[in-house]
Amino acid sequence: MTAPLLETHDLVKDYVIGGEVLHAVNGVSLSIKRGEFVAIMGASGSGKSTFMNMIGCLDVPTSGTLLLDGIDTKTLDSDALAEIRNRKIGFVFQQFNLLARTSALDNVAVPLIYAGLGYTERRERAQAKLEAMGLGNRLQNTPAKLSGGQQQRVAIARALVTDPLMLLADEPTGALDTQTSLDIMGIFQKLNDEGITVIVVTHEPDIAEYAERRIVFRDGRVIEDAAVKSRRRAVAG
Amino acid sequence: MSNVLNSIAGWGVNIAIAMTALRTNLMRSILTTLGVMIGVFSVILAVAVGNGAQVSVTQQIATLGSNMAIVLPQPDRGSGPPRSADRGRLTERDGQAILRQVPGVSAVAPQIRSSVQLVTPGRSATTQAIGATPEFGSVSNITASEGRFLSDSDVGAAARVVVIGQTVANKLFADVNPIGETVRINRAPFKVIGVLESKGSNLGNDNDDQIVVPITTLRQRLMTSAMQGPDDVSFLFVGFEDEESLQAGEKEIQRILRERYHVPKGRINPFTVNTTTEIAETTGQVTQIFQAVLVAIASISLLVGGIGIMNIMLVSVTERTREIGLRMALGAKRSDIRNQFLVEAAVLCVIGGAIGLTLAVLAAAIFQQVADFPAPVGLDTALMSVAFSAVIGILFGGYPAIRASRLSPIEALRSE
Repeated sequence: MTAPLLETHDLVKDYVIGGEVLHAVNGVSLSIKRGEFVAIMGASGSGKSTFMNMIGCLDVPTSGTLLLDGIDTKTLDSDALAEIRNRKIGFVFQQFNLLARTSALDNVAVPLIYAGLGYTERRERAQAKLEAMGLGNRLQNTPAKLSGGQQQRVAIARALVTDPLMLLADEPTGALDTQTSLDIMGIFQKLNDEGITVIVVTHEPDIAEYAERRIVFRDGRVIEDAAVKSRRRAVAG
Repeated sequence: MSNVLNSIAGWGVNIAIAMTALRTNLMRSILTTLGVMIGVFSVILAVAVGNGAQVSVTQQIATLGSNMAIVLPQPDRGSGPPRSADRGRLTERDGQAILRQVPGVSAVAPQIRSSVQLVTPGRSATTQAIGATPEFGSVSNITASEGRFLSDSDVGAAARVVVIGQTVANKLFADVNPIGETVRINRAPFKVIGVLESKGSNLGNDNDDQIVVPITTLRQRLMTSAMQGPDDVSFLFVGFEDEESLQAGEKEIQRILRERYHVPKGRINPFTVNTTTEIAETTGQVTQIFQAVLVAIASISLLVGGIGIMNIMLVSVTERTREIGLRMALGAKRSDIRNQFLVEAAVLCVIGGAIGLTLAVLAAAIFQQVADFPAPVGLDTALMSVAFSAVIGILFGGYPAIRASRLSPIEALRSE
């Protein structure tokens, strides 16, 4: 339990565009402990999304080391990375990324298919997570019949359904109005209080104020890494 | 055990995902299935028609009789049509020599054939008359179902008696028992002594549209074109006791005939000897080639159907790249993604295959009724076609599925 949840050493991600090498992430070393609530900030092109994709095991670093729950991800093949994404990480996206024409319940159950669970258990666990998100009466609704805030709560239920160690949210409030954004941040704070590590990528400074630690990226490097001074609390809606 | 159960459940999930995806693009799925359906339909029907042709030809050969050699007075050129100028000679005395000298010969039936006109009061018909001896009955498995067949005394006396085929009986004596009635053949009155047992029809050839008269009578009264000599024949049917003596006898017949006609060494035979075994083999080969060509043509449509599957699966993968990325982010392994698209392709093909099979069975049954031609669809054909369509699905769905599974999760997620 003493080892950090996430540790990077000199993490680099290069892209070759038009014959020129672009250092999207250019030597980042940091560590995130279990139970932290971290906001990753920066302008677009600062490398914050690339960094998040790497710590989410969606993308592989060009060089450097990434230790996730004590495991060096360089040693893992694509199947093992898929298993880490399934068991240890819950993703929340800006555009929700729910399967269209598929009920909320079935959407939430998708990660459990890949975890190898049977039909009944998948349904029970998905239903429990949706009820915890206050969507107990929306189980059979398809995304088209849900509001933006409801869709994002379905997505959060899906991220939580395998009981992961951390929640990775990429601009989770980018497509939501102010009040709904507040609700979502309230949910994240509540989940964080219950012990789960939350990492939110955002370019909105006031959203970052709901986190307890703020890491700012510019040109592929960390230029600021400090505790949030006046942390805001939101009441989960 | 639980691993096995899990993997079965895993495939069940894949089938459920595939069904959802296929329902989402219902029209597209139906059109894609149509290609496989037509392919499977035509392959099964081609196999059935080919089988039917084989059955039909086998029956046709069986009507000739078995363990029999047919000697024709035509030079043996191996292949190619005989030319009338080449016409050699064959006589009843040759037949007697064969019967005496070739071991294992049970009977020799000489034959002359001629086209004749039959008339009864108010009715008439044109048919083929076979001038034969009583041996024709035993060599060719021909019997009279009513009345009697030819006797030695009919032949000896060149009697004006006739045994008629079923079709001829129906044409000339619609509602009268033909036995004992008189029919004019080429104007001469003949007495009907029997009706031949029906041999059915094969490939549009009616085996019952013929009559049998004594060979002597036909030669004296019904020949329209003269033969070269007084006992010349059109064919000799040589019946053997068994298959082995037939094999050996073929060479022996050739040797005896060469001797009788003083054919010099190195000159080709002025006659041809065919055995029923050879005829069965040759026609068997012909129908097999016929079937192979049919199936090959039908397979092209199945191939086109398969390409249709591949095409639509590639479109599906492209359209759903973002979904693939999402599933990977949620923990899908490459094999999960690959299987998902494989199952989708296989479901399309198996549904198409099942419908195609059903339609082919129906079409074969209708064909059998309407065209009076056997087109059996065997269980093996049915199983083979369904398996074949699943293989098509996996083969042509394989490339798109593997392509989908090789996508990088983040690239797939980012695609619009």
